[in-house]
Formats: sequence, structure tokens, C-alpha cells
Amino acid sequence: MQTGLPDNELIPLVIKGDQQAYKVLVERYQSYIFTLAYRLMQSREDAEEVAQDVFVKAYRSLADFKGGSKFSTWIYTIARNCRTDMFRRLQKFDTPLAEEDVFPDQESEEPFALLQGKRSEERVRELMKTLPGDQMRILAKVYMEGKSHAEAAAELDLPLGTVKSRVRLAIQKLQIQIDR
Amino acid sequence: MAKFHPELDLLTEHAAGNLPLAQAACVSVHLNYCEQCQRTSGQLHSLGAALFDQLHGEPVGESLLNSVLARLDDAVPLSYASTSQWSAGSTPAILQRLMSGDLTDLVWKKITSTLRISYLKTGDPNYEFALYHIKAGGRIPEHTHRGSEMTLVLEGGFSDADGSYHQGDFLLRQPSDVHAPTAVQSEDCICLAVLDAPLKFTGWKYRWMNPFLQLQAG
Repeated sequence: MQTGLPDNELIPLVIKGDQQAYKVLVERYQSYIFTLAYRLMQSREDAEEVAQDVFVKAYRSLADFKGGSKFSTWIYTIARNCRTDMFRRLQKFDTPLAEEDVFPDQESEEPFALLQGKRSEERVRELMKTLPGDQMRILAKVYMEGKSHAEAAAELDLPLGTVKSRVRLAIQKLQIQIDR
Repeated sequence: MAKFHPELDLLTEHAAGNLPLAQAACVSVHLNYCEQCQRTSGQLHSLGAALFDQLHGEPVGESLLNSVLARLDDAVPLSYASTSQWSAGSTPAILQRLMSGDLTDLVWKKITSTLRISYLKTGDPNYEFALYHIKAGGRIPEHTHRGSEMTLVLEGGFSDADGSYHQGDFLLRQPSDVHAPTAVQSEDCICLAVLDAPLKFTGWKYRWMNPFLQLQAG
């Protein structure tokens, strides 16, 4: 197994049943997934359990990945949902809903929507390099640490209005459409 | 097409997965009706993915990889049938799951001659998640809120002093807001309401009910 193969060449091998190819993907992403879970759970044991769930779920649904986004985006969606589900399980929520009901992790079936999504993803990644540090810090708190705007404001010792306006400014710079 | 939408901070927290479950479900139902917010939400999600790519990954031991590889050969469990993608215009699947059927299967509690409420169980211990059925032309007595209230119009429409709201419209009311929604004359109105504290009636005729209004969370 060539461990240097890009994701999009490993995926067809995994779908054909090559577990060694999947091992390469797990090795490539495990520290990212673990860290995303750990930032919210603050427990290495729980974060590891989330990471396991993410990779097992991704393995079972890899055939549904259509390449409309980067593999890292797809697995991030699964990780986002698994960590929220675990967080709620730990809070003893008795719910008929899973986070994937609230935020679907399936890609669109429409070729045009897939293309649009891919383009917007590339644009966001490119423009993110231009964001100032103070805006990046707030976005990282909200997305990676799972903080609300109010919690981010308290931790950074900033007024809530400042946090909201920095997020809005960042989103404008990223050319995310807000038609309102 | 919806004219009233969640604010950007709410959509951002929804995309990041940080909203309480009941509120997140309400925003998701709005997305079901609103292609514009679906698009924004997709882009906000891309932002999360881009931040994920920039994480400084912490070192992990070999146990994670070994545990994952050991589980790959497990029998596939009965899969959880998720409510799948948002599709504008169709009956919100997330509501169907919570209702275990459709609107005709619900148990409604009569509050006034024109208002009935059906409480749905999301499992969120801090928020009530309920459907309000207001008869055509019917009015919910004037009230304020002891907390926040998300409202989403599912069928028909209503108006209050601030505007008219129709299918897919989303409103977030704060404690200080006072209003008396009135359903459109032409058809009954069904709304989804998510509250973190009970309503408080302000008119003399219904104020006596306030001590008995309790949050039906869970």
C-alpha cells in the first residue's frame, strides 16, 4: 500500500474492500478528528470513543461519498454530528433524534448543487487565509470548541456585540451569501 | 418563499452544531422551507470544514487505530434511518419523526376556543417544542415571554402588530416582546413554537392562567 496516495485514490480501493487503504485514511485524519472531539468533550476517553464512531460510520457509508466536497469536509460533517450526539448522550438526553436529522451528512444528489458546493468550499478556503487573527480566534471557538457566541465573548473577555460583529465581518470577507 | 429568517449568528451556531437540540431542530425545519438559508448554511458549514483542516491535531496513541480496525468487521447494525437531506417544500421529515406520523395523528390540548397545542418530545430538557393550531381568524391572547420564543409557520399564516407571516417564516421573540398573533381569515394556522420559559398573558381576561402555565420541556 502506497501511503502517499491522495484521498480520492484511496476511497475507491476502500469501497472495493481494501482495509489497508482505509487504515491509511484513518492514520491521516485520526489526530484531527480526535482533536475536534476533545476540544468539546475535554476528556480523552470520550474523544477517542467519538473518533472511533466517526471512522466506523465513515467506513460504512463511504460508498455514499460522491466527491462533491473534499473528503475532509465529508468526514468533518460526520465528526461534527457524532460529537454532538455523544455530548447529548453524556447529558442523558432521551431523544428520538440524531444530529444527522438536524444537520444531514449526506451530499446533495443534484450535480449543479454539488458543483456549487465545491466552488463555494474552495472560495471559503482561499479567502480564509486573509482573515485577521482576532476573527479567526472567534470562529475557532465557535466551530472547533463548540462555544456559543455568548460563551466565546465571556472567554475572550469581549462584549457579545463585538464577537457577533467580528463573526459577521469574517463571513462577509469569506463572501458567504447572506441575502438579508 | 420565506421572508423572515434566522439571524446570521443563529445560522452560524446551527452550522457549528452548538444550538440546543430543540432550537436546532426548529432552524432545520426552517431550512426545509428556505433555499436561501440552506445555501448560507452550506457555506457556513464549509467554513467549519476549512477550520477543521487547519486544526493542530493532537498526537493519538495506537489504540484508536487498532480499535477502529477491529470494529470494521463487526456486523453492520440495523442502520439508523436519518431524515436525510433538506428538500424545500416537502413535509419536514424531522417533524414527521417527532410526530410519529402526521398532523392528524397528534393529540391536541385545547387552550382557548381558537387555540390548541400539541407538545412534541425532543428530549431537550430545557426547551418546550410544540405545535400551535390557531383556527382561521382566531387570535392568541396578548402575551409576553418570560424567555425566548422561536416561531416557525408550517401552514396558513398569522399577523401581529409587527407584520404578516406565512409558511416557512421564522421569528425569534425576546422576553420584552408583547404580541397577540391572529391567524389569517382564509385558513387555519399551524406553527411550531420553541420556548425556554412559559408565555405570560398580559390581558385581564387570561392573566389568571399565568400561574398555571408551565414549560412542557423534554
